[in-house]
Amino acid sequence: MLEVDIRVRRGAFRLEGAFRSDAPIVALFGRSGSGKSTIVEAIAGLLRPDAGHIRVGGRTLFDAGRDIDLTPEARRVGCVFQDALLFPHLSVRGNLAYGERLTPAAERFVDRERVLSLLGLAPLLERRPATLSGGEKQRVALGRTLLASPRLLLLDEPLAALDAPRKAEILGYIELLRDNLRLPMVYVSHAVEEVTRLADRLVLVSDGRTLAEGDVAEILSRADLKPHTGRFEAGAVIDARVARHDEKYGLTTLAFDGGELVVPNVDALPGEPVRARIRSRDVALALERPRAASFQNVLEATVEGIGGEFGAIVEVALRVGPTPLAARITRESAERLELAAGKRVFALVKAIAIDRRSVGYA
Amino acid sequence: MAGAWRAAGHEAPRIAYGASSALARQADAGAPAQLFLSADLDWIDWLARRRHLAAPPVRLLANDLVLIAPAASRVEVRIAPGFDLARALAGGRLAVADPRAVPAGRYARAALESLGAWKGVQPRLAPAGDVRAALALVARGEAPLGIVYRTDALAEPRVKVVATFPEASHPPIVYGMALLDGAGPEARAFAEYAASPPARTVWARHGFRFP
Amino acid sequence: MLSGEELGIVVLSLEVALASVAASLPVAIAVAWLLARRDFPGKTALDALVHLPLVLPPVVVGYLLLVVLGGNGVLGPALASVGVVFAFRWTGAALAAAVMSFPLVVRAVRLSMEAIDPRIEAAGRTLGARPWRVFATLTLPLAWPGIVTGALLGFARSLGEFGATITFVASIPGETETLPLAIYAYTQVPGAEGHALRLSILSVILSLAALAVSEWLVRRRPGAARDA
Repeated sequence: MLEVDIRVRRGAFRLEGAFRSDAPIVALFGRSGSGKSTIVEAIAGLLRPDAGHIRVGGRTLFDAGRDIDLTPEARRVGCVFQDALLFPHLSVRGNLAYGERLTPAAERFVDRERVLSLLGLAPLLERRPATLSGGEKQRVALGRTLLASPRLLLLDEPLAALDAPRKAEILGYIELLRDNLRLPMVYVSHAVEEVTRLADRLVLVSDGRTLAEGDVAEILSRADLKPHTGRFEAGAVIDARVARHDEKYGLTTLAFDGGELVVPNVDALPGEPVRARIRSRDVALALERPRAASFQNVLEATVEGIGGEFGAIVEVALRVGPTPLAARITRESAERLELAAGKRVFALVKAIAIDRRSVGYA
Repeated sequence: MAGAWRAAGHEAPRIAYGASSALARQADAGAPAQLFLSADLDWIDWLARRRHLAAPPVRLLANDLVLIAPAASRVEVRIAPGFDLARALAGGRLAVADPRAVPAGRYARAALESLGAWKGVQPRLAPAGDVRAALALVARGEAPLGIVYRTDALAEPRVKVVATFPEASHPPIVYGMALLDGAGPEARAFAEYAASPPARTVWARHGFRFP
Repeated sequence: MLSGEELGIVVLSLEVALASVAASLPVAIAVAWLLARRDFPGKTALDALVHLPLVLPPVVVGYLLLVVLGGNGVLGPALASVGVVFAFRWTGAALAAAVMSFPLVVRAVRLSMEAIDPRIEAAGRTLGARPWRVFATLTLPLAWPGIVTGALLGFARSLGEFGATITFVASIPGETETLPLAIYAYTQVPGAEGHALRLSILSVILSLAALAVSEWLVRRRPGAARDA
């Protein structure tokens, strides 16, 4: 259980952050400068809040009232940063061993071989950090932090400095770690795809305050939080389960509360829970069920509301059964179709739009 | 001396102070000096050999070599042939200007050698950069004894003269004055004045004698 | 090739310069770290104090040393009672050299420490390293090129130190007469330029040798230098 309740003042900057989480991964989500990194630094012990407390697994790391402030080296909180921050004068082997060597044998619960194989680090051992690619550096950084047997893992925008293919690669590794090691993680990011793929629980941070905490899908769909969750990332996140696979055509059917989604092959077994993100720009609307069209997904939906009526583009909030969905269309179309709250429509979603990046394993 | 000259209504001479060696080399290299005053007759001869003198040098002043101690010291030393200076040092060092390089140091060595005291004190020397530095060492009490010119000793209230080295024990400490090539009438007039009786009173007040 | 006397002067100079570096380097590293990594009241004053020997005339520094640490100085007798004597000893020459070269050493070390990303040190702490270990295993190795440069600068400056030395401990052959002092003495004697020249050439050779050693030392240390 991670409990954070702190207040920080540094000159003009103010932060008031509070949240609790039991989840394997809790995401701190918000725009750059919102204060997410400050919270992480405080948990790691690199910054001392002016008031409040921080507890990890029943252990108090910081408590202003009781004058407790554990040094970073005593907290057993591991950090992975945006720039891997590998030690340039040591080889990969030396970097990996740095924290491991400082961990008393009794506290070591991470299996070295397991971490090396999970992250594919064996071929890199004799290399020097300067010769590694961005993705390789992050893998070594992950390995180094894990080998110090932390009780909590903080990841502060670990993918921000990587290009798209590397991002996907490292994201996969983090998922692997999440699933294979029982290690609670705090994942800081301003990128929705990362957060929806990795986390169950989300804490929204904006302008130095924690605005909301709760289920990832729920927080991201809430209309009142839209200004903070970001317009250009607009979409819906749907919790679903794998229903069946179509081997012949390489498709997977996901069942959710309100309907089914057909997507390109998802690497999960039937029955396993997944989370799918559907960008509102990928959702089209029709008044009738199209008879001969390529859309794999035609969902019966009800219009809940229409937003942004002054520009050329509007955001239509829908419900498919109990599940929220959003469609972004031109205002012209919305008027032509005479869309209004309560109207029944069909939401058309291309299967292609729900690609590998949009599906996360819960 | 320059002060007195100015008081008599003349333009103040510009004075460049320095070690005889440095000044001589500078004059040799063409520095615009008109008069050279030095205690080191060797360097004046050196300049003469290199044909920089306008007229033969004049022996202007003489000085004494004295043994000094810090003002508060109670030490008593009598300078005589064979005197045990080393014992008077009582473990401390004898402050002198570097005997290899500085005239004051060379005179000190000559005096000690002629009195048979050199061998005893040679390992106990503190050879300073110049005679003023040696004076400072004694003034600060770093060295229990030192050898400097009388004129230096008189200028420093924190030291006192313990004894004077007999004139015969060292080559005469004579200050030569030489007019350099290209010296103008002002320079010549000043040279004449410096050797005149009114000037002598000023010199004597500072501890100089006359050869 | 070298007369016995000349050899003695060279050996003494090397001893004094090496002692100067050995004494000033640890202090310089500590001071450089303070100036690079910490903020505290009086930091500017410390910085100014460190640079004082760079801007003061060497003779003034020598005189101040005399006043404070001479046999009759402020701290002299107290130190002498525990066996530490600087007056008229090679230790005094080494101290004068150390004081004069201190600012150069601090600057070089500080520069290389400031170039280390402080977040690397923070990463070390989150991995479980206490501040001392971070300093020894991360800061020092990464500052190594600066430390070597500082040591070289300090050594070269010490080899050439004159004004403070002669004012503080005079020019006692075999004890405090280092190369620069000997060269100066020879230039004072008309016609002894030959000796002065020989010793000057020796000084140049020693400095070049020190430069070569420092280059080798910087290269030998893996990581920091090679990745630069």
